[in-house]
Order: sequence, then C-alpha cells, then structure tokens
Amino acid sequence: MGRAELKVPGGKMMVAETEVEAGLIVRVKITGDFFMHPEEAIEDLEDALTGLPPAEVEAAVEDFFRGRAVDLIGASPGDFARVLVMSLGSSSS
Amino acid sequence: MREAWRLIDMRVEDAYTQMAIDESIAYARRKEGTPNTVRLYRWNPSAVSIGYFQSLRDEVDLEACRRLGVDVIRRITGGGAVFHDFDGEITYSLVAPDDDPSIPRDILSSYRLICGCVVNGLRGLGLEAEFKPINDIVSGGRKISGNAQTRRFGVVLQHGTVLVDFDVRRMFTVLKVSETKISDKMIKAVEERVTSIRRQLGRNISFEEVRRALIEGFEETLDIGLEPGELTAYEEELAEKLRERYRSHEWIFRR
Repeated sequence: MGRAELKVPGGKMMVAETEVEAGLIVRVKITGDFFMHPEEAIEDLEDALTGLPPAEVEAAVEDFFRGRAVDLIGASPGDFARVLVMSLGSSSS
Repeated sequence: MREAWRLIDMRVEDAYTQMAIDESIAYARRKEGTPNTVRLYRWNPSAVSIGYFQSLRDEVDLEACRRLGVDVIRRITGGGAVFHDFDGEITYSLVAPDDDPSIPRDILSSYRLICGCVVNGLRGLGLEAEFKPINDIVSGGRKISGNAQTRRFGVVLQHGTVLVDFDVRRMFTVLKVSETKISDKMIKAVEERVTSIRRQLGRNISFEEVRRALIEGFEETLDIGLEPGELTAYEEELAEKLRERYRSHEWIFRR
C-alpha cells in the first residue's frame, strides 16, 4: 500500500492512500481537512481512479475536475494529482 | 427596518442531534420556506467532530473517547477535527439561501463575512480578533475559532466553534496528534497557537456573556434582528431521522 501526505502551501492537509495490484489501482482514498463542494464528489473521484494504471492518474484527475462543477478550497486539482502520484510512488509492494 | 432572522438559542444536545438539526434547518430552508436562522449551541456530552473528508482513525483516539465518554461524529462539512468541550466551547450555525443578497456567492468571501459576525462579537467583549483565511479566527495571533461551510439544498450552512476555555491536555487525549507523545513541550507549542476567550480576557467570563456578545455580533454584522424561535415540527421530525444516519457506524467510519 502506498501512502503520502501533502501540506498545501497556504492551504490544507491531504493524505492519499493507494493500492496497486497487477498494474492497476484497486483502492484509493483521499482524506484531509480541505473543502470540496459538493462533498460527495470525493467518492466519485476515487471511483473514477479505481481500475486505472498509475501512469494515467494525473490526466484522470485533470479530466475529472475539468468535467464537472466542483469547488475546491484549500487544495487545487494539481494538489490532488501530486499527492496521488506521491502515494503511488511510495508503494512498498 | 432590519430583517428578522430566527434565533435557536443555546440548545444543549448530543453531537448527533446537533449535527442533525443543522442539516434539517438547511434542508427545510427552501423546502418549507423557513426563515434564515442562526443557532447557538453546546454539546453534551462533549464530542469530537471531524470533517467530511477526514480519516476517523487518523484523527481520533477512539479508545480515549470511549473511556472519557466523549462522542465522535463526522460532519457534512469539510475542514478539520474539533473537540467540542461542553465546559469550554460555544458552537454557532447559520443557514441562509445561497442567493441571499446578504451572503456573497464566492465561498471565501462568505467565510469572511460570516466569520466577521464572530469577530465582531469577540471585539464586543474587548478582545482583539480578526478573520484569518481560509476559515479561522485569531486573537492575539492565536486561533480562537474554526469554521466550516457547505452548500447544498440551495443554501449556505456554516457552523463554527468559539473557544471559551481551552484544556489542551484534554483535547490531545481525544485527538490524535501525529505520532508524537503529549509532551509538555508540545502542549506549550499548541498553547502558542490556540487560545480561548477566558485566556485572552484574563477573567472567568460566563457563557451567558459570550452568548450575548455573539448575538450582537451577528445582528450588527448582517444588519438583522435575531428573534428567538423554535424548530418547526417538520425540522424536528427530519432531525430525528437524520440523527440515526449521523449515529450510524457506516457514516462515522465512512472515510
């Protein structure tokens, strides 16, 4: 399992946990004290990333936020991509 | 003539009822055409609330909470973990339509405005206080209030904690603080960053005085008159139902 923490400069704390099996993301969880409106979009984002190869995560995060009206406070789409990539890179498996 | 808003004044309830009431007021605002509402309240038993996106296991020492009889709840709002100490804290909530002329559409600006109500209330008590983006209020450079907002059901719901007293050791018994032990050094470091009304004023101010100051802060800042009222039957019934979701293992352990 991979895990990474990111303190967004001037913003909030983010933690990503990821699990990769056979070259695909099988589990992803992003937690922290940021704000996202609507809140339930976080589960949609995690669902959208599940099943992807790690190399496609950055583009998928970008697509996700471009494709819908989500307000982020204390973290940017780029911060989500960053902490996810860090987590995937930290994987010990 | 100042616009009249409803005041639900200082109800003391447990965590699940408090969060259910905030949500039921938010939902009923458009559905039932209820008035814009400000609530002041206290949590009994004391409780830890965590933000919608937070990991329960990362933030809360569940065993310590059980031992001390402290409730644990997940909010529908984002933001950080808060210890709502019955003897040390007043919570407020505000509900208004998201297109209300008095509330900025822009989220950060609306934090500034609504937090400004608390800032002015604190100033009324003689404290130096200011809004610190994104969602904090500081006094003497130290955090004295944390605030969180959601926008759903066509309304703005903002709630926040105002520290009247502050027991850092108790707080860190229930909240997880990295991997570090609760050392005297760490407690000192936190006391440098967090404060309370009693500490800033150097006297044992009553909850009643703080309550009155907060009411004035809301009235002056928003140019409204707060009229004491009750929840509608619809809101009470809805809150009863929502309370079960807030208490459920599935919701609390959601993330």
